[in-house]
Amino acid sequence: MRNIVIGQYLPGSGFFYKMDPRTKIMGVIIMMVAIFLLETIVQLAIALAIGIVLMILGRLSIIRIARGMRPLFVLLIFTFFFQILFNREGELYLQESMTVSLSSIGGIILLTIIWRLLARFKRFRFFLLLAYLVGIFFAFSLLTYGYTFTTFTFSIYERGVEMSVFVVIRLLVIITLSTILTLTTKPTDLTQGLESLLRPLKIIGIRSEDFALIISISLRYIPTILDEANKIMAAQASRGADFQQGKLKDKIRQIISLLVPMFIIAFKRSEDLADAMETRNFVPGMKRTRIHELAFNMTDAFASLFILCSLAASIVLRVL
Amino acid sequence: MSYIEIKDLSFSYTKKRQILKNIGINIEKGEWIAILGHNGSGKSTLAKTIVGLLEPGAGSITVDGIKLDQDTLQSVRRKIGIVFQNPDNQFVGVTVRDDIAFGMENLCVPKAEMLERIEYFATKVGMEKFLDKEPASLSGGQKQRVAIAGILAMQTEIMIFDEATSMLDPYARGDLMEHIKKLHNEGLTIIMITHEIEEALLADRLVIMKDGAIFADGPKEELLKKPDLFQGSALELPFSLRLANQLTGAGFEEVRGYLWESAFRK
Amino acid sequence: MGIRFQEVSFHYPQNQLTYYQAIANITLDIESKNEFICLVGRTGSGKSTLAQHMNALLLPTSGTLEIFGTKITAKRDKKTNYNSLRKHVGLVFQFPEYQLFEETVEKDIMFGPLNFHTGIDEAKEIARETLKLVGLDESYLNRNPFNLSGGEKKRVAIAGILAFDPDILVLDEPTSGLDPRGKTQMMELFKEIQDKTGKSIIIITHDMDLVYEHASRVVVLYDGELIYDESPKALFKREGLEKYHLQYPSPIRVLKDLKERFDLDLDIYQRNLSDAVTALKRAVK
Repeated sequence: MRNIVIGQYLPGSGFFYKMDPRTKIMGVIIMMVAIFLLETIVQLAIALAIGIVLMILGRLSIIRIARGMRPLFVLLIFTFFFQILFNREGELYLQESMTVSLSSIGGIILLTIIWRLLARFKRFRFFLLLAYLVGIFFAFSLLTYGYTFTTFTFSIYERGVEMSVFVVIRLLVIITLSTILTLTTKPTDLTQGLESLLRPLKIIGIRSEDFALIISISLRYIPTILDEANKIMAAQASRGADFQQGKLKDKIRQIISLLVPMFIIAFKRSEDLADAMETRNFVPGMKRTRIHELAFNMTDAFASLFILCSLAASIVLRVL
Repeated sequence: MSYIEIKDLSFSYTKKRQILKNIGINIEKGEWIAILGHNGSGKSTLAKTIVGLLEPGAGSITVDGIKLDQDTLQSVRRKIGIVFQNPDNQFVGVTVRDDIAFGMENLCVPKAEMLERIEYFATKVGMEKFLDKEPASLSGGQKQRVAIAGILAMQTEIMIFDEATSMLDPYARGDLMEHIKKLHNEGLTIIMITHEIEEALLADRLVIMKDGAIFADGPKEELLKKPDLFQGSALELPFSLRLANQLTGAGFEEVRGYLWESAFRK
Repeated sequence: MGIRFQEVSFHYPQNQLTYYQAIANITLDIESKNEFICLVGRTGSGKSTLAQHMNALLLPTSGTLEIFGTKITAKRDKKTNYNSLRKHVGLVFQFPEYQLFEETVEKDIMFGPLNFHTGIDEAKEIARETLKLVGLDESYLNRNPFNLSGGEKKRVAIAGILAFDPDILVLDEPTSGLDPRGKTQMMELFKEIQDKTGKSIIIITHDMDLVYEHASRVVVLYDGELIYDESPKALFKREGLEKYHLQYPSPIRVLKDLKERFDLDLDIYQRNLSDAVTALKRAVK
């Protein structure tokens, strides 16, 4: 069986991999604060450029990171248009009167059909969406024939363009930061880093060790449970359970036929696991040593220095 | 006093049905015993009581002079390790290395020593090349071997195998049995719980359980000679002995003798 | 009719998450009546993948698969009703825990028939009958399936499949985890089902003693390829099966040892104890 990787972790060897997960987690948080302090597109563009240089130095594939961000493109597009449409400050760049008429609605329906038909070219999904949105714009502005329901004005202002670019770059930088973290840190190291960072919570009675153990056991069992869900689904499908079709009443029963075995097996599993842990002298809350000890090394020291300098720089820029 | 003493042990979940009835077994250091019983005979319940997962209703368990109770639980568990039936449900770590380390972490073994012991015991069960592998990429037999290494690394003296081979294919099963033989030769006390007679025959001594009670207990050669031992039970002699038992009458002494001898050959 | 594999292969594109072993170039014909086939091969040889093609749970990547006259190809065909094929070929998974979910045995057995649009009253009647067929009496109808013993659960799970009366019954390791008597009883049950209904039965197993004694045909997989498809008698006469991780059945192993040790004129290919005794008595005298 192939190794099933959870999360986005991709084995590699650059300096990002050599860093202590604590440095990386804290680093991402501090850098995000620093990014939010920046005020102009130029400053942000410089930050993005520095980020790209760091990624190249850290031997990370930019293409791979971009691919990891793909699911968030929709969010980026939405933010972009939101800013452009609703920010009405500064100089007016473009003003177009839009008509909601029979012909424009017809045109939009036609566009939507074409767009959905082309949707199977998944590779061009992003461009198709853009083309679709531009199409809608022209449909409203050019197709004025037929009965007109209402009209409105579509306008783009200087500040709107600026802000949309600004917000999109800021989002891009932030997403890139967190992608670097998840791409270069094993889920186990991530939990351990969090455990270590959350240790002060002991004061209010939350034990970060327990929390970390729970996460690491969950990580270990996710592939097993997925595999099992798959088998249960196949077993019930063999008894004629059709999960795609059927009436609502049948569907509910079929979903129950999946959930009940999954829960029963999971309960049995957790009981067995508790037995196995207990017989290996595990006592909740007792002191344990750890095979993975986090170590702060030279790379971390440099990284921390760099991160603090960046924060200082953005504070200075903000204040000036 | 024996190394492990189980005296008048009883256990039940409900008043109606007694799962273990007055079990008494003495086990010496370095012995290899097989506890043989049909499905539902109470053999796995017995294993769970010995390692303190279930509290007996009556009777006592003493291991190396320590009587098992709430206060001594952890020190008894340091001496006894148990490998369970389902390879997937006892793999705690995210990788082989982490899983072998788990028990040692609980015993507060220092990191440097842990790494040393992991290397040593992983090699012992032939898993040294898999230390960074995740359980999803291991076979059932490999997972069971990792479980053994994890227990050995805790410097356990007694190992219980609770139907540890029943979810493996015959090849992995044979492989695991070879590892158990090796461990026994190195002085480990082994308690093997099974319903497979072929596996039980590798032990020195058989304890046969039936409906929650001990039905027979003794050296295997002696026990298996009783003609009605498995009569009316869900268990069965191995094919060679069933064949030998059918060859009654004169002229077959030599063949019979050979079949007996080969059945006990390890 | 029945199931026909023609050069069927199954694999996932690389780097894609999969729990299935690949199979390659499988050509196999299974009749819809009276077959007793054992499917053997070491863990990971593709037995389960092959079995899940038999009721179209998996679709072949290449080659043609025909299930009771319906052609199954790599592309999911909207016109094909995959569900109705599963009524012809019933697949019982290894662990009954994968399918038991209702609070009574009766309801659980009715799940299949109801999915295949049988009326409630009829389904109830069917549940009663199939329970009898798997050797459990009516008192089990109202019991909770989760409180049964391992062997009983297996029987209820098998009843859950038999309830929609498939022509071919495929069972994945039905005897695993059972003690010797449980195993014997389970095999007797399959014989009985076949005698009464004439269904074809396909069993995935690692137990060569069972294969040798009960199967009329063995299909051997090794690394996803079908290497033998013949009678058990012919298969176990072959030398060197160990390299495919196959054991010889106990009668052959024990008799072979005796034959060599005592230099007997003995036919070692005996399928059960009484035949072995007779042959041995003849040879020694």
